[in-house]
Amino acid sequence: MNLIRDIYQSIVRRDPLSTDKGKSELVFLNVWLHIHPAKVKKESLKFKHTFYLGFITFFLFVILVTTGIALMFYYRPYPPHAYQDMKDLQFVVFMGPFLRGMHRWAAHGMVVCVFLHMCRVFYTGSYKKPRQFNWVVGVFLLLLTLGLSFTGYLLPWDQLAFWAITVGTNIGSYAPLVGGKLREILLGGHTVGEAALLRFYVLHVAILPSFMILLTVVHFWRVRKDGGLSRPVWKLKPNKPEQLVTIGAPPQTAPLNAVAASTDKTYGLMEVVTGKPIFETITPDEEEDAVFSYPYAFFREAIALMVTVTGIMAISLFFRAPLEELANPAKTPNPAKAPWYFLGLQELVSHSALLGGVVAPTLMVLALLAIPYFDRNPSRRPSDRKWAIWLFTIFVVANLVLIVIGTFFRGPGWALVPPWVHVVAGAE
Amino acid sequence: MGRRLPQIFFGLSLLALVLIVAAVWQASTPSWKTYQRQFLQLEAQGEPNAVTKAAVLATPPQIHQVMLTGLQRVDRCTTCHLGVDDPTMKNAPEPFRYHEGLGSHIPSRFGCTICHGGQGLATDKKNAHGDVQFWETPLLTKEYIRASCGRCHKEGDVPGVPELTEGRHLFETQGCRGCHKLNGVGGSIGPDLTEEGANHRSPEWLERHFLAPNAVSAGSVMPNFHFTKDQARSLTYYMLSLTNEEMGTYYSSERLIPSIEYGRQLFVEKDCIVCHAVGGVGAKVGPDLLGVTKRHSREWLDEQLVNPELVYPGSAMPVYDLETNARKALIAFMSSATPEDAQAIMAHKGTGLAPEDAAIEAGKRNFARFGCAGCHGTELQGGLPNPNAQGGQVPSLVHLADDYTKDEVIAVIRDGRTPPLEDAKGPTPPLYMPSWKSLLSNEDIHQIVEFLWSKQQKKQDSW
Amino acid sequence: MNRRNFLSWGSAGVVTLGTGVAVSLGAVVRFLMPSVFYEPPQTFKIGTPGDFAFGMPTFLVDEKIFVFRDREKGFSVASAVCTHLGCTVAHFQSDNRFHCPCHGSVFAPDGSVIHGPAPKPLQWFEVTLARDGQLRVDKDKVVPAGYRLMV
Repeated sequence: MNLIRDIYQSIVRRDPLSTDKGKSELVFLNVWLHIHPAKVKKESLKFKHTFYLGFITFFLFVILVTTGIALMFYYRPYPPHAYQDMKDLQFVVFMGPFLRGMHRWAAHGMVVCVFLHMCRVFYTGSYKKPRQFNWVVGVFLLLLTLGLSFTGYLLPWDQLAFWAITVGTNIGSYAPLVGGKLREILLGGHTVGEAALLRFYVLHVAILPSFMILLTVVHFWRVRKDGGLSRPVWKLKPNKPEQLVTIGAPPQTAPLNAVAASTDKTYGLMEVVTGKPIFETITPDEEEDAVFSYPYAFFREAIALMVTVTGIMAISLFFRAPLEELANPAKTPNPAKAPWYFLGLQELVSHSALLGGVVAPTLMVLALLAIPYFDRNPSRRPSDRKWAIWLFTIFVVANLVLIVIGTFFRGPGWALVPPWVHVVAGAE
Repeated sequence: MGRRLPQIFFGLSLLALVLIVAAVWQASTPSWKTYQRQFLQLEAQGEPNAVTKAAVLATPPQIHQVMLTGLQRVDRCTTCHLGVDDPTMKNAPEPFRYHEGLGSHIPSRFGCTICHGGQGLATDKKNAHGDVQFWETPLLTKEYIRASCGRCHKEGDVPGVPELTEGRHLFETQGCRGCHKLNGVGGSIGPDLTEEGANHRSPEWLERHFLAPNAVSAGSVMPNFHFTKDQARSLTYYMLSLTNEEMGTYYSSERLIPSIEYGRQLFVEKDCIVCHAVGGVGAKVGPDLLGVTKRHSREWLDEQLVNPELVYPGSAMPVYDLETNARKALIAFMSSATPEDAQAIMAHKGTGLAPEDAAIEAGKRNFARFGCAGCHGTELQGGLPNPNAQGGQVPSLVHLADDYTKDEVIAVIRDGRTPPLEDAKGPTPPLYMPSWKSLLSNEDIHQIVEFLWSKQQKKQDSW
Repeated sequence: MNRRNFLSWGSAGVVTLGTGVAVSLGAVVRFLMPSVFYEPPQTFKIGTPGDFAFGMPTFLVDEKIFVFRDREKGFSVASAVCTHLGCTVAHFQSDNRFHCPCHGSVFAPDGSVIHGPAPKPLQWFEVTLARDGQLRVDKDKVVPAGYRLMV
């Protein structure tokens, strides 16, 4: 009996819940309950403020990891087998089509949600000081999401996959000097083949997800440390400056008084500082606005999780992930299109390879990264940021319009064809 | 809203439960299970006693698959077509009926899709029969299914499929190789046909194409050969059989097993003795073949048979379209051939023709094989319309000797030429004389010219 | 969100969710169970009775079985997989015994262990005559050593 008690106490190290210490340790010693502070502000939980898009994106990623690992049991990244394995998933593996559907739709959903999440963060001005760096992390998460989706696109090894990746990687090869070599490294050859499939597989299941998890951890950590969940700007108390408040932080002018490290110590102690923490805490005068994270925040997030999972499940139950003919390097479908989220790029490339394929996307990413550092306007009120909102809206709409044109308005030979006109591609 | 959260949570949990149960139910009730239950009931009817009946009915449902590594496919057709190798199911309804007349082609060794087409990996009717988007080889209809025999039976007569023999004969005599490559030999005006059967064109399309090329593929330069319906069918069969798949040795037809005997047949068929001697018996044009397998490695000889020019630039030896196994057989024969063999082959050849006649005969064969007749006509009459070329048609060749010397004609065949235009500003005529340099040796061209000269007519108005 | 509401509906939700998770876990186990095997089938046909000689057993390499044909007693099929650690045993004509190359187990012609580390005798499989006249072996059905099929 002692042994069982010892084992239990080694897992749950808190004092009994009957004591105050035990009650507090329930939170202190639990890693999951540290995603949020003990208390969060009520208005942060408002659905209409964040639409829980960040959480939904994260939950989609969780679905992708789970279903992806399941699919790995039945997939061999080698051209003669890959397509057959997809057929096996379709025809013989128990719930194979359902799982593949979930993986596919969750992947598309994640690209959409990560983009919407970015828009929400921009429009609410939540990237402003002190959250600039977290925006940068977010941009890298967006790029990783696109990279994951793109590498996964090749794995079924059907015509759709093969030609989307052929076109997609050729867009990248227009980069001056390094473009060609970059494509060679990515594909392990000059064309999409055996080596490319293996490389994309390794990127898709090992390298990119590792970075994704790493950056997600940083992203979450920084949300908490840079001021907690975003709050609607209209809820900020009027007597406070209309910027994200870092309560308890020393005035900007006053530098922290760091205690010089003792000379007889051979190690640096990161904690040897004085002054108050730079992150936001709940001050007594805000108590009335705050609720306990558990259960209020966690419960809402659980609901967001359930909505995400059931949504993806429902879609997968009725819509199968597509699988076209076996990849055939000798037969180019007309038109050959990149994955939809790159069709805006392909549309640009069709006008100018260098400008559309290299300059525009590079500038776009650089601009996104630079936003929090160039936008020095401290206000988060939409009425104060007309210019920023206009510019960003133009950016979003331009992207959407290009993607819509590339997806629905481009027919055989990349000719402009409205979707309601049916064109028979190249009669033999 | 906030107050209802627990109810929403419960609702969502319920929805999740319903969805997962639905997904499991969807996955556990595939259509093949229904077929298997029906088949078991059919089988149980035949069982006399109740115990075996119950045992049959209790057979757990499972997917049956035939792994055919030699044919590079996996066929799951027998998951539903359960009685295919069971003679007692002769009168059973489809999909359970016994497949009669298979002979040695038992389903457990050959599967189904190699002959029938369709999607072997699929386990539901629509997908398995290939009647879906993104599957390019739906089931072949009864009319065309025998074309599949040619996938393994690549040479000689295929019993019960005269169409294949006829198709192969037409291919060699109607000049298809003039424009089309097959296994590396042929022109490059039309598409390479080595894998035509794997291009997944529908049989109906091919047949219509042979009857009227322009009608199904607009702007095709392929002339209308005025094939009969039967001929078009035969050629369609032949095209469908050209898949160039790697078949395991088990599936090679007997003629393709690289035996010495098969090598000897080829040696006779290809007339090797006309140029080569074995131990001094035979012709002296090419090297003596006695002990050739000791002088050269098998790989070297194989290379030589594939493309003599690559091994010996300027070699006079023509390129033969020989399968891997045919080349192996020839080499096997050469390693064992003796002067007596050569003697026997020579004796069988009979008296033979005089050298001049032999050249004309060879010329005639090449004239047909490489498609000269396609434009110039089997009787050299020409006359195929060729808009905006001088005369508006392909010239007749029967009065060639009046205007040209043999050397001039040889030059035209070798280098080709574009016809002079009727109207200098008009469009380029669709037909032109291609260059045959790469396809025909000087010897071949010379023989063709001899053949042409043997067919010359006196001009009516000459004096 | 009042406490009672939260506890009652919430716990009902947790129970439902738990059921859903349990069903999913079951589905995962079923998902991992292969529906088709990319290996030689357990039940297979080995040819007509006439294909086999009397006396010495015929060894089928891919199937890893010995086929015995006796003039009086008929057909029997023995596994060629050593019961110790799964190596393939060989039949020695010299002493009419099965020898395992890995750890020296020796089996008698009836499959019983003569010496060596093997814990159990070699297995015997059911052999039946299929409707098309071929012999069918079922590796899933182990029979006693005395089992014979008379043709």
